[in-house]
Amino acid sequence: MKSVAFRTCPITGLRVSADAEALIKANAVAATVALLTGGIAAIMVLLTRWQAVHLLPAEWFYRILTVHGMTMLIFFILFFEMGVLYFAGAVMLNSRVATPRVGWAAFWLMVVGALVTEWTMWTGRADVLLSSYVPLRAHPAFYLGVILFAVGALIVVAVFFATLVVAKREHTYEGSLPLVTYGAVTAAIIAVITLGQGAAIYIPTFFWSLGMMKVDPEIYRLLWWGLGHSSQQINVAVMVSIWYLLGALTVGAVVLNEKISRSAFVLYTLFISIAAAHHLLVDPGLSPAWKIVNTSYFMYLAVLASMIHGFTVPAGIELGQRLRGYTHGMFDWLRRAPWGDPGFSSLIFSIIVFGFVGGITGVTFGTEQISIIAHNTLRVPGHFHATVVSGTAMAFMGVTYYVIPLIFRKQIAFWPLARIQPYLFAGGMLVFSLAMTFAGTFGVPRRHWDISFSAAPFDVQFNPAVDLLLGVMALGGLTAAVGGGIYILVTVWSVFFGKPLEAGEASHVHVRNPVGYSEPTPPLPAS
Amino acid sequence: MSMYGIPSGIANPPRHSPQVDEENERLHSAAHGLLGPTPGTVVLVLVFLLAFVAYYFVNWKLLSLVWKIG
Repeated sequence: MKSVAFRTCPITGLRVSADAEALIKANAVAATVALLTGGIAAIMVLLTRWQAVHLLPAEWFYRILTVHGMTMLIFFILFFEMGVLYFAGAVMLNSRVATPRVGWAAFWLMVVGALVTEWTMWTGRADVLLSSYVPLRAHPAFYLGVILFAVGALIVVAVFFATLVVAKREHTYEGSLPLVTYGAVTAAIIAVITLGQGAAIYIPTFFWSLGMMKVDPEIYRLLWWGLGHSSQQINVAVMVSIWYLLGALTVGAVVLNEKISRSAFVLYTLFISIAAAHHLLVDPGLSPAWKIVNTSYFMYLAVLASMIHGFTVPAGIELGQRLRGYTHGMFDWLRRAPWGDPGFSSLIFSIIVFGFVGGITGVTFGTEQISIIAHNTLRVPGHFHATVVSGTAMAFMGVTYYVIPLIFRKQIAFWPLARIQPYLFAGGMLVFSLAMTFAGTFGVPRRHWDISFSAAPFDVQFNPAVDLLLGVMALGGLTAAVGGGIYILVTVWSVFFGKPLEAGEASHVHVRNPVGYSEPTPPLPAS
Repeated sequence: MSMYGIPSGIANPPRHSPQVDEENERLHSAAHGLLGPTPGTVVLVLVFLLAFVAYYFVNWKLLSLVWKIG
């Protein structure tokens, strides 16, 4: 067997294989490039939806909206999650990557797939939005690019599972999988289900785009949402894993009860794909019984999982803080938390906005009757920007501030900016999401270039409050864009031009494997 | 202690109290009542549930304005 190069992280004590480190770096860089591309598109879409500016012409609005959705929801998120799989698999388990060459082949397949898809979108060959509903027809290369990207992601998931087997066989860890790795396994299982459904619809649609077969629009929607929504549930599982990780790293959070947390991850695996049915609540081709069983019964079991994590993560943080001596009063533990640590502030904002805004609105809109008044309004993007952006992306940003010193072994550049970045991003996204939600309550449609219907043969009047709300939405979105821009500046500068972390700056500290225990840890030895 | 360019969780990693076991026992004692060892989180969760109930009710009210009965 070929010898594998390892280094021992002076900070965590974990053995990090060179292959895992390189693959994490490559996927992180690709994710950041995707974030920059999708972020530029986001600003253009935002300035068009802000009626007072109305930046883009109609054709370019739908083109850029397609770019924004695909680049952010698929490319940015999945590249980052591939990095998380290598971290949670190889690094957390002190193991080598099972098949690094296959990992690299998968990475380049994903890059090629993403580039092909980007080319079709930017050149006007795929103005079909993220959902690309049939009979909207894109260039065949669009579907082919997505298929290549998805195959690459599926291969990385296979490498992750193989790495778990290698780690078990080579006894690189003791006992059960750490909770973070367990969460990553959940995400990987959901990924297999998701990508399977993606293949089931994108491959026929690719042949349909070549004129070789027919695709039924209702079947397309049913299967596509098996991909479109379930892919966001991969995010949820990864995000929750990162919550546990960041809680332990930043404030010594403990896992209250391993069995309960792991059971909640199992609920995700069993029921979260079924939750995709809520996208079809107003579709006439499906029976009310099917809709209600899926969204008012099974979906709530997945929601229950999120509510369990939504309690256990902050409770673990509180208990960890109390075990550090912050026991005065009800909220001393929260007041004296390290709010200047961007990892911690990102964690808290991710939990709050995901739960209070994204979670509450999502479950409410997932009710069949209420879906009638929320469907296809701005309330829907208001909901999912609170979950995917304020929740998932915020958690990803927070963990980046630990990945840079731990994996890239660099100091974080522009440190004062990095410390305020989560406040700008989360605050902006909170205002943005709430304004969108309220504007949608007044009936403002989503995915719409011009709600004033200028030059149309009919007139549509909205409540005057809508103009104010769209202005507030723009201000929130631009503030979040500044936060996102700072994140990109800080990460790119730190990784490529940053000051290397010197041994003396970190070797004196010692953190236990942060999520491998279920009981409060014994005190760490004095340094 | 914090260091420039290094998050506090690395520069100054969290340490539990030296009497962590005794402290843990004390926090889990029945004397803490219904709120248990994490009273702050329980209060936050109750706030969350109230927000949930309020938003859910408002949406049904809005629906009732669209679909009037009688």
